[in-house]
Amino acid sequence: MSSKAPDPPRPTDAELEILTVLWSRGPSTVREVHETIAVRKPTQYTTILKLLQIMAEKGLVRRDEKQRAHVYEASQPCEWTQRQLAGDLLQRAFSGSAKSLMLGALSAKKVSKEELAELRKFLDEYEKGAK
Amino acid sequence: MNYLDAGLKAWIRSPFAKACGWSLIHFLWEGVLIALMLAAVLFLCRRASARLRYAVACLALLAMPLALAITVVVSAPGRQPAPRLSPVDVTDAGSLAAVNGAAPAAQLGLKTILPSLPLLWMAGVLIFYVRSAGGWILTRRLRCAGVSAASGDWQARLDGLRRRLRISKPVVLLESCLVDVPVIMGFLRPVVLVPMGLLAGLPADQLESILIHELAHIRRWDYVVNLLQNLVEGLLFYHPAVWWVSGQVRAERENCCDDVVVNLKGDARGYAAALATLEQNRWPAHEAALAATGGSLMKRIRRLLQEPESHRASSAPVFVAALVLTSVGVAVANWQVQPAEPPRPALPMVAPSAVVTTQDMAPVSHVTEQTPARRPVQVVAQTAPPQDPAAARFAAQVSEFERTRQEKAVRGELNTPYQHWLHEDVAYIISDQERTAFQALTTDEEREHFIEQFWLRRDPTPGTPENEMREEHYRRIAYVNQHFSPGSGLPGWKTDRGRIYIVYGPPDEIESHPTGGTYRRPAEEGGGTIDAVPFEQWRYRWIQNVGENVIIEFVDPTRNGEYRMTTDPNEKDASAQAALLNGQGKTGTTVQVMSTAAPNGKAVMISIPLGSYGGHSVAVMSTITTSTRRPVQNFERTVPAGAPLFTHFIQLAPGSYRLNVVLKDTVTKAVNSDQIVFEVK
Repeated sequence: MSSKAPDPPRPTDAELEILTVLWSRGPSTVREVHETIAVRKPTQYTTILKLLQIMAEKGLVRRDEKQRAHVYEASQPCEWTQRQLAGDLLQRAFSGSAKSLMLGALSAKKVSKEELAELRKFLDEYEKGAK
Repeated sequence: MNYLDAGLKAWIRSPFAKACGWSLIHFLWEGVLIALMLAAVLFLCRRASARLRYAVACLALLAMPLALAITVVVSAPGRQPAPRLSPVDVTDAGSLAAVNGAAPAAQLGLKTILPSLPLLWMAGVLIFYVRSAGGWILTRRLRCAGVSAASGDWQARLDGLRRRLRISKPVVLLESCLVDVPVIMGFLRPVVLVPMGLLAGLPADQLESILIHELAHIRRWDYVVNLLQNLVEGLLFYHPAVWWVSGQVRAERENCCDDVVVNLKGDARGYAAALATLEQNRWPAHEAALAATGGSLMKRIRRLLQEPESHRASSAPVFVAALVLTSVGVAVANWQVQPAEPPRPALPMVAPSAVVTTQDMAPVSHVTEQTPARRPVQVVAQTAPPQDPAAARFAAQVSEFERTRQEKAVRGELNTPYQHWLHEDVAYIISDQERTAFQALTTDEEREHFIEQFWLRRDPTPGTPENEMREEHYRRIAYVNQHFSPGSGLPGWKTDRGRIYIVYGPPDEIESHPTGGTYRRPAEEGGGTIDAVPFEQWRYRWIQNVGENVIIEFVDPTRNGEYRMTTDPNEKDASAQAALLNGQGKTGTTVQVMSTAAPNGKAVMISIPLGSYGGHSVAVMSTITTSTRRPVQNFERTVPAGAPLFTHFIQLAPGSYRLNVVLKDTVTKAVNSDQIVFEVK
């Protein structure tokens, strides 16, 4: 199968996990991916290997065969998957209420560009004032 | 289907449905009343700590469903003044019109929709709850889909922070490709999700402050509170006041966590910058700007940077909150006792009751300022965790009383407790700036406030009622007074060992030679065996700002139990002690106080014979300190080869001093040191 398929299918949860590792670490060997995932849950090395092979066929990852240990890398950027998953019905219906259930240093809603600019200005002025 | 239809119709006609309908309508003004009360309290407490404001907002939110429940119970059929046996529509409407004295047409309109109100309301609640449940399932999915464990380094850092915040539950740090800001979820097994690339993309220091914010949410059980908050919102979805109060709770919650970050890291500016950077990182991805959302982040950053420190942690009388909320309760209860009124006359009630509360408040807070019991109560106001105000406040109050009593027992009774506090309790840990500030205070009230702030700044876990630092400090004082008080009557805290123990805590190891005797000296101290005076060596594996593996030595040359700290390993040598007491060290160094009076006291000549060094030049380093170890002068010279004597003159005010001399042969690198205690009269 060609790894240049224009639009690979939406990844499953297990595939997404591997993709996350690849996005986070950059191109990695199967062993590295396995080590990272095994930190969180016990997984067989061969499971990861098989999954990566399937994902390579689907076009979700690219395999660099130049080295002896095969290095895999995600073929699509992280944002692509976010867009893919945003199309999910469950996601679309409930992402609003899911956001109100999560807590974080920033609110679930983005601030506007104008406000962001104002914020920067305020911080800069404060910085000057402090000096 | 028919059966269901009939059931519904019967239910609609039942008196209970009517009571529910009326309760929902009455809640319109009840909700407004509670929200106005909250607005008033928040305005009065605008300078109070975020914790207090959060607690008040939470109480108000809790009062909302309670008010509805009470209204339903009170207006339920059994309690109605004239229960109707046959709910015939026409008589019903007529009697209502008679009771209320309102326009019959409006009554008729209300009357027709009233029975179906509860049904509409239930349908709305159902929609909101289904939506919440869906959101909840989605968040559950987020913690297992599209995540990868963060690098061990950051997980370890998070664990370190977690311990500093005293969270006993393990917290897992995950990188997620599905979130765009750091979030927490779960409360039994909480996880922190950070967007991919954030760990590598943000300066470690800024990231740490963001993580502290997230951990503060976990410690404060905010996840659970937020879930309940969502339930209340769904239950009373039709009332904008509920959403407003809920919004206040959210805003104050973030402020509380911001305060934890600033208290722990002390860098409000860095934290504000981190928040701004984080917000900016959300942008380049995609999507155009949504409408401006009221600028809550701007408010938070302004609060972080512009509010003086005192606002953030200052205490405010908890009475204000209690009083106003009680008056809400009383107002509602009073209304409930009377027969059901139409919603219209209710609104004017707000003004008089608000006036009453403000009038009541002034004398109460005034009186408490003078009561002796004020201090514990005030501390409660700062430290009560907001989530479960009543129980926690009571527990905190009890423990606070006990603590004050213990503190008094440790300190003993004194006429000037504040001088005592400054010169004894915290003498070793108070900074010079704080000391100056404290001495500048004029009223006892300010001093009390200062002491509270002093400990609050040092509280390792600012959100909890306990102040571990203060407890540990007073424990140390009690310990040293019990264990290190020598026979001379000097209190233990004034001894060198007491001072070190109070400042640095118990050492990791103590090597004690209480009777002195023969001591095999380690090679780095010169080797051999010496006849030692009683001495102790304390080893600390780590002292902040000092270093690793710190060994502090105390000697007791006079054998009266009053150990002195020494930096000279030779001082435990009994033969050296003999020389020292004569005012002449083993290097032959002599200190001679001249009889001529100098402007600043007396001239003192220090002379060190260097004849034994032959043709080598010698580096002389010396320190003169007062008996309390305050440095007076340091000097350092390299004496050229051949000089028989090094002399140094210094003017000293009367008092006792200590001279430490280190001589280093610049050729052989041999080091010789000496210590002389002398007195200028």
